[in-house]
Amino acid sequence: MAKPTVVVVGADKGGVGKTTVARTVLDYFTAHHVPARAFDSESPKGTLKRFHPDVTDIVDATSVSDQMRIFDTLTDASVTVIDVRAGLLSPTLRSLRDIGFLDSVKKGQITFVVFHILGSSIASLNEIEDTAAFTGDASYFLVKNFINNTSFFEWDQATHSSYFKKKDAAAITIPKLNEMAFEQVELASVPFLTFVANKGPKGETANYSFVLRGYVRHWLGNVWGEYDRIKLNDIVATAAPPQQQQQATGASGARVQVVSRS
Amino acid sequence: MTQPHPLYIVASPRPRVGKTLVARLLIEFFHASDRPLIGYDLNPREPTLAGRFPHLVWPVDITETLGQMELFDRLIVDNTRTQIVDLGYAPFEQFFGVLDEIGFIPEARRRFIEPIVLFVTDPAPATISTYAALRRRLPGATFVPVHNESVSLVFEKEDFPATRSECSVIHIPRLSPIVRGVIDRPSFSFSAYMTAQPGGPTEVHQWIARIFTAFRDLELRLLMGRLTSSYGGPAPAQQYRDVR
Repeated sequence: MAKPTVVVVGADKGGVGKTTVARTVLDYFTAHHVPARAFDSESPKGTLKRFHPDVTDIVDATSVSDQMRIFDTLTDASVTVIDVRAGLLSPTLRSLRDIGFLDSVKKGQITFVVFHILGSSIASLNEIEDTAAFTGDASYFLVKNFINNTSFFEWDQATHSSYFKKKDAAAITIPKLNEMAFEQVELASVPFLTFVANKGPKGETANYSFVLRGYVRHWLGNVWGEYDRIKLNDIVATAAPPQQQQQATGASGARVQVVSRS
Repeated sequence: MTQPHPLYIVASPRPRVGKTLVARLLIEFFHASDRPLIGYDLNPREPTLAGRFPHLVWPVDITETLGQMELFDRLIVDNTRTQIVDLGYAPFEQFFGVLDEIGFIPEARRRFIEPIVLFVTDPAPATISTYAALRRRLPGATFVPVHNESVSLVFEKEDFPATRSECSVIHIPRLSPIVRGVIDRPSFSFSAYMTAQPGGPTEVHQWIARIFTAFRDLELRLLMGRLTSSYGGPAPAQQYRDVR
């Protein structure tokens, strides 16, 4: 990898599925053998850490010491995913500007990716305005997350389109996942990939429903299809060491690779 | 060579074409030879098959996810018995949609379960196009058309090409209305009738014998197909590609 990559997943509104998206991003990197670490700023109790405990640390993104933990340890060897707590996207981006991080991005020393998860209200569109000042040099993606059956701005398509066009931002769509499948993954507290592979938190063989695993595999394949479309793997540009793996294919044709963990 | 266990899915997108009759005949055919089997009746409003075979057939409603789990989670682990699904026309789309979405067929084949769709035909253009679309959608399943002469006397082979040429079509001969009334009685059993009157010259006897022979023939042809594949003949997957 030529340079470190920081992926920020956030929104200024709560309950829009930030952590779900962060989980799919981590699974995507796992499947593509991209070494990744994660920071969960939902301090003191982080949801992301519950699903990806081995690679996730909980931080308080507003504290200087935790900012040092994140940004003073960026290395060429990995991708850093930051799941930003609800309401802290704009303040976090402001902090990144203040510490000179955005300057490093501008100089091409760091690859910066922002997944801005949209809520269903017009307020979310205004958030785009707020974040725009900080994301000029980032790969900036607006994410419509349908996983909880949200409907987006259908009542005012013109306003919606004008925002997307104005910001020249690529949109990513996270499709809906069967509620029971989503709930079972929550209960299992494992990454989506691990659930598909029918494994428990410690790698032990689990007894998840074949139907629910199928729904998750299909859904994850479609989500990764979106990440392939925006060339996320090319953005982080890493060389992948070979690992033992199984392959399955989602309906979209996107690969859902189940990595064997011994 | 481990022989896969068949999973027969008796299906049609149209009502009243004889799906339950075909499922019933299959159950009696396997049951008569003491082969382990289980059936699922996917007609939640009118589970006729489950009512006729309460110890062999389970009614399942796949409208909700729980019902889908009840069905597919059982089908995928059961590779010791012949399984028969009587798929009502109402859940037709949903059944095949879920089947496709969860990747059932490739996983079933990996687990030595062979999905065979017995598609009960009729001459409606919508049925013909549904059959073609389903075959394209599920290339890993074996499709065998079933022509019920009580529904239509005409059967155009080109409209319903089988996955394998040797398993071209199963014909269900037309019965006279009086005899039809007899076999529709709740207490009537095809296999019991055959046992009680072996070789009898009645219309029912000939009708049952012809259909059971067709089932036996289908089993044999499927077995021959698998053996041919295992000894280096054209693999089923190749055949699927050839017809697509």
